[in-house]
Parts: sequence; structure tokens; C-alpha cells
Amino acid sequence: MFDLEKALTLWLRSFRKYRAFDHGAIREMELHLRDHMDDLLAEGHSEQQAFEMAVAEFGEISPMADEEFSNIKSKTTISSLIHTAMFKNYSKVSIRSLMRNPLNSFINIFGLSVAIGLAIFVYAYIQWVHKTDQFHENKEKVQLVTFFADRDGSSQQFAKTPRPLAEMLKNDFSNIEKVCRIEDRNVVVKHEDNVFHEGVRFTDPEFLEMFTFPLKWGTAASLKDMNSIILSEKMSVKYFGEENPVGRDILLKFDETRSKAFKVAGVAQKFPVAHTIDFNFLINFENLRISAPEYDFHDWNQFVNATFIQLAEPADITSLEQGMEKYKLIQNKAVDKDWAISSFGFEPLATLHKRSGDIRDGIARNSADNLKSIYFLSFVVAFMLILACMNYINIAIVSSTKRLKEIGVRKTIGASRKVIIIQFLTENIVVTSFALLLGVLIGFFLFIPWFEGLWGFSMGFSFTDPTLWIYLSAILLFTALISGSYPAFYISSFKVTGILKGSLRFGQKNPLTKLLLGFQLVLACIFITAAVTFSLNTNYLSKRSWGYDNRQALFLTVPDYAGFEKMKAVLGQDPSILSISGSEHHIGKSHATSILKKPDRQFEVDQLSVDANYFQTMGIDLSEGRVFKEDYESDKNKIVVNETFVSSLGLKDPLGELYKIDTLEYEIIGVVNDFHSYSFSEIIKPGIFKLADKKDYIYLSLRVVPGSERETYKAIQATWIQLYPEIPFDGGYQEAVWGNYYEQIAIHAEVWQVFAAIAILLACLGLYGLVTLNVAGRVKEFSIRKTLGAGVKNIAINVSRQYIILFSLAIVIGAPISLYLMKLIFSLSYRYHVPITYEIIVISVAILVLVFLLTISTQIRKVLVSNPVEGLKVE
Amino acid sequence: MISKNLTAASTKAIILGILKQGNSYGYLIIKKIKKMSGGKMEYSDGMLYPVLHRLEKDGLIQSNWTMSEDTRPRKYYEITEAGKQALLEEKEQWLQVNTVLEKLWNLKPDTNY
Repeated sequence: MFDLEKALTLWLRSFRKYRAFDHGAIREMELHLRDHMDDLLAEGHSEQQAFEMAVAEFGEISPMADEEFSNIKSKTTISSLIHTAMFKNYSKVSIRSLMRNPLNSFINIFGLSVAIGLAIFVYAYIQWVHKTDQFHENKEKVQLVTFFADRDGSSQQFAKTPRPLAEMLKNDFSNIEKVCRIEDRNVVVKHEDNVFHEGVRFTDPEFLEMFTFPLKWGTAASLKDMNSIILSEKMSVKYFGEENPVGRDILLKFDETRSKAFKVAGVAQKFPVAHTIDFNFLINFENLRISAPEYDFHDWNQFVNATFIQLAEPADITSLEQGMEKYKLIQNKAVDKDWAISSFGFEPLATLHKRSGDIRDGIARNSADNLKSIYFLSFVVAFMLILACMNYINIAIVSSTKRLKEIGVRKTIGASRKVIIIQFLTENIVVTSFALLLGVLIGFFLFIPWFEGLWGFSMGFSFTDPTLWIYLSAILLFTALISGSYPAFYISSFKVTGILKGSLRFGQKNPLTKLLLGFQLVLACIFITAAVTFSLNTNYLSKRSWGYDNRQALFLTVPDYAGFEKMKAVLGQDPSILSISGSEHHIGKSHATSILKKPDRQFEVDQLSVDANYFQTMGIDLSEGRVFKEDYESDKNKIVVNETFVSSLGLKDPLGELYKIDTLEYEIIGVVNDFHSYSFSEIIKPGIFKLADKKDYIYLSLRVVPGSERETYKAIQATWIQLYPEIPFDGGYQEAVWGNYYEQIAIHAEVWQVFAAIAILLACLGLYGLVTLNVAGRVKEFSIRKTLGAGVKNIAINVSRQYIILFSLAIVIGAPISLYLMKLIFSLSYRYHVPITYEIIVISVAILVLVFLLTISTQIRKVLVSNPVEGLKVE
Repeated sequence: MISKNLTAASTKAIILGILKQGNSYGYLIIKKIKKMSGGKMEYSDGMLYPVLHRLEKDGLIQSNWTMSEDTRPRKYYEITEAGKQALLEEKEQWLQVNTVLEKLWNLKPDTNY
């Protein structure tokens, strides 16, 4: 008797011999055969006939197997992978497993997204710095003329140029298309009731052709007109509000006696945020003849603030450089040999912002500090990303114990190692994509606004930037691969038999997990140390003495000596004013540079020309000798020096030492304590005081009775308005001169505190995840311990033992590294900073220990309050 | 009877063509081909399946197991957008072959020969 089912089973078995057919394919063929037989039976064939006919028509199996096998072989191409539903399936599985372990998923996604958010912020910062000045169409052709000269034994670059050079260059070189000079002057600008001190740029009409500053209103060519003035948008709003001011009059007062009315001929569009050169007011260079009749356009001994040239082709610069030799000769013939220059040089506008930090007297803002910050930030971000990836790796490895069965079953039903790897990588890409999305949000809505708020500027970050998307994809790929590949390879290597027999105990004691956690702790230690050091440093610098008494000291600028006398006469009657002093320079505001000569050597020093009262008024303490006497004639050839002067010249007995400045000989009569003229980021230079000629007084400084600063300040302002209704008051508290410096260093501290907080957060998340998984895997063990009477101490030790060893090791390694790095960073960033000692490390380690204990104690508590009966019931 | 090679070469176009008219499963596809060719195309039924699987892998068709109470489970195949595109290309190619052949058959013997 024919047994259909048996025959079918036998027939199907012959398919199973071939690897090419999977379960689904064999089932499909079985159904085919049954369908066919149904038809044949309906045609009246017997069951056996129908089976034999259907099998015969179905054909030989081995060529089918060959065909099918060639399909499988081609399975591994990437395109075929994408085309299959596999990824869809895996994504679904990963989202489900994410939902199943919310804690792990949170640690992974949140950690990664914070790091990615930071990466996006750094990207925004980098693109901002690199965008600086790139909006100038002629940025490669426009070059700043500079010169090199030896000062104090080193060659230095200066941004100013001899006055006649610009015109000569234009006439002598055919490949120079345009030239423009820039001279900056402080003037008083008046329009109706608006009167302010402003900086005005005297420049050649080519300025607006060489630099790309499109106008909102008016015409650029109007700069050729002697009576035209061009305003920045900011100034237009300041003086005229939102209306179009073209055609309106504005008065410039150059000094007490000279002034000139200008017609507004143009208003520039708002300047791009990232720029080094801009202007408030532009007027024709020739106006210098009116504002300063003594200005000699042809004197090689005098300098103009800046000269820019525009070449026909950027490459022309080589021929130009060779041709500069003759100007050097002219220049050196004209000037004193102390000021001889060694060569002329050029700086392209495109890269000026990067270089101008090293150029003295430059008119361009520089981004050298920003470039330095980029390196710092990039390091920080790279470390943060690595920290977050390590969390991912750790958690993936440890939690793989929970998924051993899944992997075992998958492998048993035929998943190859490759398939498991792909599954885990897909899961990882899903996680990373979530993190990327969240990270973009965190970066865009948290980090970038925070940083812009700190410094008060906009980085002009936008999502339309194509490189941003390349960068984001790179981050996605980087984090996905770094964090995903090790777990994927590791987990897929498990042997099925081991898993299913339960003899495998992977994960909890994996040495790599320990190593990664240890590394995280070391990094956290470094970041905390940085935050602590920067915070301490801010505190330290805010307490650091300026070297003189800037409290109760006020200052103001006066138009001239007559003005000084007028103010002094009125203020002298105020009983709360203790002393009044006049000077040509002022601490924190201005100084001159002099060259002191001995027969064998010479030095560059900072020079302040002051009156005899200045030391008392500004609270500068004398350490040796005496200060000036009131009598100008008797002390006009005497100088008072600072301690740095004495120490850097190695003087044993400075008093009575003689030096030549220009041709006159000066004698040291006193030594004062060192003081900071400018911010703490600038080193104290050798400095001298000279008696100022009364006619040069432009500063009036005063010392008041403690507590009366505010009233006196108001009184001075009131006096000023009475005496000079036309000239705006320009002065302030001496304490406020470098007030924004404190803000800056406070920002440094805040930035590092945020970084440290993120690093601690990441390390804690990782630690928390690991401890949680560890405890979860040892529920039975702890339950038994508790049943047998283990107390708090015993449990605590058991939970934390392995971590304490690791933690101690991390600190032993991390502390010296942190110390070394801090020394390096601080010596690079600050001239004067808090001494970096082991105490800082102690504070940092204490913070780390505290956070560490908090993290672990949550888990110890969980074990303590758990019911051992429940714990023992598990599985 | 159509030769094996030619049958094999045309399978892709034929399967895609059939699926273009509506979703179908293996046995039904074979039945249709046989019916349409009037039995002129010789097939071993089993060889259809590797072809179907390959087309699926290439993303030209996709499959779906359909379970129902009253019939056997069936693995239905459905043509994808990529598949429709591929079918157009196939059609183009077969038409070109056809054109060449037609021109050849209609050519009069060369008199200069």
C-alpha cells in the first residue's frame, strides 16, 4: 500500500542533505508538491501516480541545490544585506531590547548623546574660528605690510609701517592694484544730543574695495569725498536709530579747537560675527591734514597704524618681497639706529587672524587663543566620546550575560557568527542614531547657547552647513564602530554548547571591563582636577594683588593741561579727595616704549610719564630711594624703576645707575614694587617712570577717602559736564579697568566645571551600570549571605571590593597624570596662576571618592533592603 | 519545444511579468507559465524556486507567508518598485532581440552575392 506521507518525508529528506535549502525553502517545495498532486488527483490519477508525476516534473534536486547555493554565496554583498528585511528586523529587535532595559539604554544613549552634544558644540566653535575673515572676497590678494626688527635680542614683527611707504609701493610696483592706509584716532562725535568719544578710522577710498564690507545704504565711492563719512550699522543705530541717515550731518571734534562737519554717505551692513578688522566711522585719509596739521605724510621716522596692499595675483608677493630691500635702506637711514628694521614682510588677510597674535601693534583682532582653545576642546571632546563609548562597551559586555540564551538559540537555529555580529552592530547603530539625535538637540539647545551666553557672541551655527552633515555622519560611524565592534565580536564568539549547558559565565569578570572602567576613572580624575584647578585659579587671581592700590582710585582723561588745571582747581576743594595727579600715561590705559642704553647693551622697557603725586595717588609703594620732587627741572633727568627692571638687569645697587634714552642720560633715583599694568595674562615687564612735561598731561587720577568713591565719582562727572558740556566724560574706577579680565577667567573656570561635571556624570553612569549589573547577577549569592547573617559591613565590602581596588589603582595612576597635565595647561594659558600642588589633587580625589561612594552606596542599599527570600526564588 | 537555455534566459522576465499582474505563489506561477506557453516551455518545476529566491535577494520581488484557515499556507511573491523597473529593462532587451531577428527574417537574399 502506498504511504503518501512517508514518501513525502523521504523526498523532503533528500533536500535536507543540501545546506543550500533552509527550512522555509523546503516547506515551500513541499507545499508545491502537494498543490500539484491535488490537481493531478482531480484529473483522476491515483495517489501514487500523482506523487510520482509531480516528483518527476519537479526535477532533479542537485542542480536546484547548486543554483540555490550560488544565491547564498552572494548573500554577503552589502547591497543584498540592505535589500533584505534583516536590518528592519534587527532594528525592531534592538528597539525592543532597548525598551526592556531602560536603565542600560538610558546610560548608553544619554552618555553618548552628551558627548555628541559636546562634539557638536566644538564643531560650531571650530567652524566659527575658521570662518573668521573668510568673507572678504580678496582675502588672498589683500596683504598687511609688516616689518621685522630686533627687540631685546629677538626678531619681532610689527604691523605698523613708515608713513610714506604706501604711496611709494603703489608707484613702484605694477602688480600692486590697490593700497590703503589706516590711521585710528579718538575723537568726539556729536549729532544733536548724542555726544560720545569714538574711534574714527582715517583711510584711503580703496578700503571699501579691498575689504568686503557691503553697504546697507549709500555708496562706497563716496569715501573719495573729503566731507563724507561712512558708519557701521551699530553706529548708525546709535546716532540715528533705525532711519536711513544718508545725507544727514554729523560733527567730529578732533580736539579742543579743531572740528569738522561730515555728511553721512553710507552705512555698512552688519559685520559678520567672525572678523578681525572692522570700523565704526570711516573718513578720507586726507582729513588728517585738518585734524592734525602737524601730521607729516612724508616722514620715514613716523608710522601709520597699518598699510594694506592688494595684488593682482596672490603669487606676486614673492617678487614684491624681493623688491622691498630698497625701502629698508631708506627707512634705516631715516631712523635712529635703535629702531632699525631687519626686513619688511607681508601677511595675507586670509590668515591674518591666526597670525596677528604674534604681530605687535596690530590693528587686527587675533584668534590665536581661539586656535589654542580648539586643540583643548578637541581633546576634551575626543575623551568624552571615548568615555561614553567605554560605557557602552562595558554595559554591552556585562549585559550580554542576560542575552546568552538568545545568542545560543540563534546560533542553534543556524545563525553564523557573522550574522550575530551584524545583529549587534545594527543594534548599536540604532542606539547611536538615537544618541546622535538627542546629542544634536543637547548641543544645539544647551551647549551652544550656554557658551554663546558666556562670551556674549554668536557663532553663527546653522544646520544648512554641508560639512556639518559629513561631520555628524563621521561621528555616527566613529562612535558606532568604536563602541559596537568589540562587544559584537566578543559576544558572537560564545560557544553554543557552553551557553546552553550554562557553563559559561562571561561578562562579570571580564578583564577588559575592568580596564575600561579604570581608564574612565583616570579620565574623570583628570577632568575633576582641571575643574578644581581652574576654580581655585579664578579665586586666586581675583585675590591676587595688582601690586598697587587700585581701590579708592579714580581716573579721567582731560583734553590738555589747561583742562587738567581747570578740573584740579574744582576738585581740589572736595574734602574727600586725598590727592590729585596728572600724567601722560596711565596704568592699565597706556604707556610708551623706550629703549634704554648702556655702552654695551640696550633694553626695551615700558615707560610711564607721570607727575610727582602719581605714586601716592595710585598707591604704588616705594621699596628703595625716593620718588620725584614737584620741581620738573630738577628731576627731569631722573627715573624711578620697578623691581622687575632691577632683577632682569641684575642690578645690585640700582640707585645712581645711569642710562641713556635717545641722547639724554637718566639716573635711577628710586625703585618701586612690581605692579600689573595690564591683565594677569601679561607678564610684568621692566618699567620706568619719568617726570611728564605738564603740557603732555592727558590723564587726571585721584585718590579718595575710603567709602566716598561713588559720591566722588558722581561729583567729578557733574563738574565735568559743567566745564565741558560738549565733550563726553571719559573715566572710571581704577578697579574696573581690568574688571572684564575677572569675567574671562571666571568663564574659563565655568567651562571646565561643565566639562568635569560631564566627565563625572559619564564615569558615574558607567560605574552605576556596572555595579547594578554585577549586583543583579549575584542576587542569589547575596541572599544566601544575608540568610547566613551577613551584616551591612560584610555586604558593603562584598559589593564594592573589586571596585575599590580598581578605584585606588585609577587614582594612583590618575593623580600624577592630572598634576602633570595641569602644570602643562596652566603654564601655557596663564602667566601667573595658582601654585599647582598635591593639595589640588587631594580635593579632586575627595570629590571623586565622594561621587564613587554615592554611586556604589545606592546599590549596597538596594541589596540591604532586598528580601533574601525573593532573591533565592529567582530561577 | 523551446530549448532549455532560452527558457532559462527568459525566466526572469516571465516571472516578473506574471507578478506584475498580481501576487502569486510558486506553484501557481509555474502553472501560468505552462498554460501561457501551451506546454512549449519545458521546465523542471523545482528550478523555479532558486530563481524566485534570487530575485527576492536582488530586491526585485518580496515574499510573505500567508496563513489561512481553509487552504495551505502559501508563500506569496510580490513585485517591488525595483522589480517593475527591472521588468521594463527586460522588456526593452527582449524587444531589441526581437527587432533584430525580425529584420533578419525579412531580409531578401543579397543579390550581389
